[in-house]
Amino acid sequence: MPFIIILVVSAIAQLFLPWWVIAPIAFLVGMLKSKSAGSSFFAGAGAIATLWIAYALYLNISSDGLMLTRIGNLFSESLKFLKNIPYSISFFVIMALIGGLVGGFSALAGYQFKQLVK
Amino acid sequence: MKFIKFLVSLLIAAGLTYVLNNPLGALPALGKLFDPFGGFWQNGGTKSSPDELKLEGIKDEVSVIFDDNRVPHVFAQNEDDLYFTQGYLVAQDRLWQMEFYTLAASGRLSEVVGERAIELDRYNRRMGMAETAKKIAASYKKDDIAFKVLTAYAAGVNAYLKQLSYKNLPVEYKIIGYQPEEWSPYKTILMLMNMRQVLNGGSEDFRMSNVLAKYGPDVVKDLFPDYPIVESPIIPVGTKWDFTPVPVPATPAEIAAKPADKVGAVAFNIPAPAPEIGSNNWAVGGSKSATGLPILANDPHLGLTLPSIWYQMQLSTPTLNVYGACLPGTPGVTIGFNKDIAWGVTNVGSDVMDFYQIKFKDKSQKEYWYNGTWKPTTMVIEEFKIKGKESVKDTVYYTHHGPVLYNRASESNFSKNVPIGHAMRWVGHEVDNSDLMGFYYLNRAKNYDDYRKALTYYKAPAQNFVFADNHNDIAITPNGKLPLKWKEQGKFILDGSNPAHDWQGWIPAEQNPTVKNPPRGFVSSANQFSTDPTYPYYLGWKFAPAERGIRINERLEAMQKATVDSLRSVQNDNFNVEARRVLPDLMKILAADSTNKDNAAYQALVKWNMKNDPYEVAPTIFERWVKELRIWVWEDDFSAQSEKDPMSLPTRDRTWDMIKNQPTAKWFDNINTKDKVETVEDIVRGSFKATVDSLTAKLGPLNAEAWAWTKVKSTDINHLGRLPGFGRQDIPNGGGPGIVNATSETHGPSWRMVVQLDKEWPKAYGLYPGGQSGNPGSPYYDNMVDKWAKGELNELLFMKTKDEKSSRIVSTTKIVSDK
Repeated sequence: MPFIIILVVSAIAQLFLPWWVIAPIAFLVGMLKSKSAGSSFFAGAGAIATLWIAYALYLNISSDGLMLTRIGNLFSESLKFLKNIPYSISFFVIMALIGGLVGGFSALAGYQFKQLVK
Repeated sequence: MKFIKFLVSLLIAAGLTYVLNNPLGALPALGKLFDPFGGFWQNGGTKSSPDELKLEGIKDEVSVIFDDNRVPHVFAQNEDDLYFTQGYLVAQDRLWQMEFYTLAASGRLSEVVGERAIELDRYNRRMGMAETAKKIAASYKKDDIAFKVLTAYAAGVNAYLKQLSYKNLPVEYKIIGYQPEEWSPYKTILMLMNMRQVLNGGSEDFRMSNVLAKYGPDVVKDLFPDYPIVESPIIPVGTKWDFTPVPVPATPAEIAAKPADKVGAVAFNIPAPAPEIGSNNWAVGGSKSATGLPILANDPHLGLTLPSIWYQMQLSTPTLNVYGACLPGTPGVTIGFNKDIAWGVTNVGSDVMDFYQIKFKDKSQKEYWYNGTWKPTTMVIEEFKIKGKESVKDTVYYTHHGPVLYNRASESNFSKNVPIGHAMRWVGHEVDNSDLMGFYYLNRAKNYDDYRKALTYYKAPAQNFVFADNHNDIAITPNGKLPLKWKEQGKFILDGSNPAHDWQGWIPAEQNPTVKNPPRGFVSSANQFSTDPTYPYYLGWKFAPAERGIRINERLEAMQKATVDSLRSVQNDNFNVEARRVLPDLMKILAADSTNKDNAAYQALVKWNMKNDPYEVAPTIFERWVKELRIWVWEDDFSAQSEKDPMSLPTRDRTWDMIKNQPTAKWFDNINTKDKVETVEDIVRGSFKATVDSLTAKLGPLNAEAWAWTKVKSTDINHLGRLPGFGRQDIPNGGGPGIVNATSETHGPSWRMVVQLDKEWPKAYGLYPGGQSGNPGSPYYDNMVDKWAKGELNELLFMKTKDEKSSRIVSTTKIVSDK
């Protein structure tokens, strides 16, 4: 349940608010809805990673991946190892990590906050 | 324990969020950049234009029709709406680029990229471009047409900015991490200043002064003559000067400043005029064309970048209908055509930047010696904001000549010596504000008289304006504000204390060289000398090498019943005129050495058809060899590489003449070899061997693949802000700097256009190495590059009315007032 809530609320909020709005959303949902530390983290991380991957995938496919190729070449100029993996894998992983870690730790912090004040 | 768990998880969550929301060293803010709702993912593809757009500031309905190359055709009811819409559309496609040019010209790049741009910024600020732009922008009166055009254009750009959200920002802003500023007429002027610098912003004065100091006037006269040995000037030889010249200031006894002591010598960050910055244009008259009416062609050679320096547009009102290439940030069309006329530009290589040695009274630099008294300087303190650092300040002193550029002497040296500085006098500082009106009236011109009138408004950077109309007139005019100089004024560093060394006036505009309908049936220019030495004024001692001009004139001379395609083939001509001139002399010397017989590189040159075609190896050998050869001949005597006293090398023209006609000249001896006197043979053979050896070391033994000209030359079109991965590398292409197809490593034809005039409706072709969109994630970012590399042209859709039907129309947007 927390997974779905974080995903849906973030999707709507991100249409109007900057990217870091996912942190307070995950925090609140983690605080109000999560049952355990582990489930809160994975709900937050999974929801944001899923949301971001799904939306980025849509944007990437509908633009023939042109922007991803440019950004990939830009980063791999100084980070050579990126050249060995298709950008469509590495950059989705990086993105999922960025969104996932913020979402996960925020939800966890929310859950721990509830434990503290309970 | 609970508290610690909470605190740790909170700190990680908040810390991650904070770190990812801010730049990390060289890395941009990764959270912002990767977030699919706002980051780079949003920049992919082409946003389709809406059917209707409501904008505050539009008076009447405007139709914008996009064709299949994403060229907007704007149909407005009045001029305010027209330029407003142009500003809006250019911003939509090129916002980051146009702002980047203005940040560079005003010396503000450090504000967005940090400390690494500070030297460039200091240089550009000392060049005084922002100061001049400010003065020009302030000089307009409310009801000047130019001011109205500039204001409407700025309002259009700002209307676009107003509705721009983070997710729609050009991706460069997201990567580098800053926000666009409001546009204003001042910024458009900065864009023009940028062109003045690119085209008129080089100088060899310092290098030539070193030559004069070391070798004296006779050697200068012999090796650095004021007119080339081989030339084909823009105004055909024999053209009558149809005016009474004004008196030219008398040449003073001393024509150069006395050499400064070493401490005061200029540290020259001033680049010599870039040989790659050049262009071709020409028009053939009806007597030479298949249709009986003129055909005009133009290809300006500039630094090749993505986004491209040009943006195509059609601009139309009930009293205007023009199509062509526009400079982002600048209203109107810069190179183009309308129903009746076509025009194009190439750069005039006249000497319009001079340096004056300034003797200061003391280290405060508050006063300098001029005409027998101490004259006060004006002090301007420039502040540089630097991203992520404290601001720095730089004091610039202005003399009546212009700003004092760098001194080599470091600050500590100032305490020991009375400093000597060098002030710059540059046409780029002229505050005439009518340049834009030159293009404004060309856009509307109907005939030759309109063309001549339009040119009177245009001042700098001086350009060769080629013209053709459907009344069968063709013309060319090296046009702009040209200083009235005594002979060789400014060939060397001038004496800033001597009034006779000042610029003392201007060549009357109507006496700028010009020619209309010459007997040869065509006009042309390729940055070579404007005129032969019969022209009564001194314009400069060195223009671009003559080869492109010579070849263009030969081709056009021979041409009958010219078509668009025959002119296109001239634009892509790869013939090497220099090889035709010098290679026979060189090969004779190589042939006399029997060891060359089996040399594959020698054999390749023997078989060469003297065309710099992309997949030939001979042009690789030849181009690298002549470069090497010139260094072998001159570098020992005229070190261009010297850190302390760099000198100019004699021109290639003078060098080839010496090989042919003065093979025993003492200059062939390498003075660095003590017990040997080298002959021309030694130098030619030695440089050939060295060239082949260095090519072999780099590319392996001669083979058609690795030694192919296109591979070695390797034309790159890099991103304007040098972002890796945002450019196109190794474009397959022939040509070279001295070739009509002037595609070098980094420069080349930045817009190719051919226009066939017609009584009814012209037919026009053109493209540039880029695409209409400045967005690297758009298919229209670089879609014209491949066609450009092949030398093909697009037929341009020039619409008669907004209701015209065409299968090439993709979408139409109506812009209406939001009131």
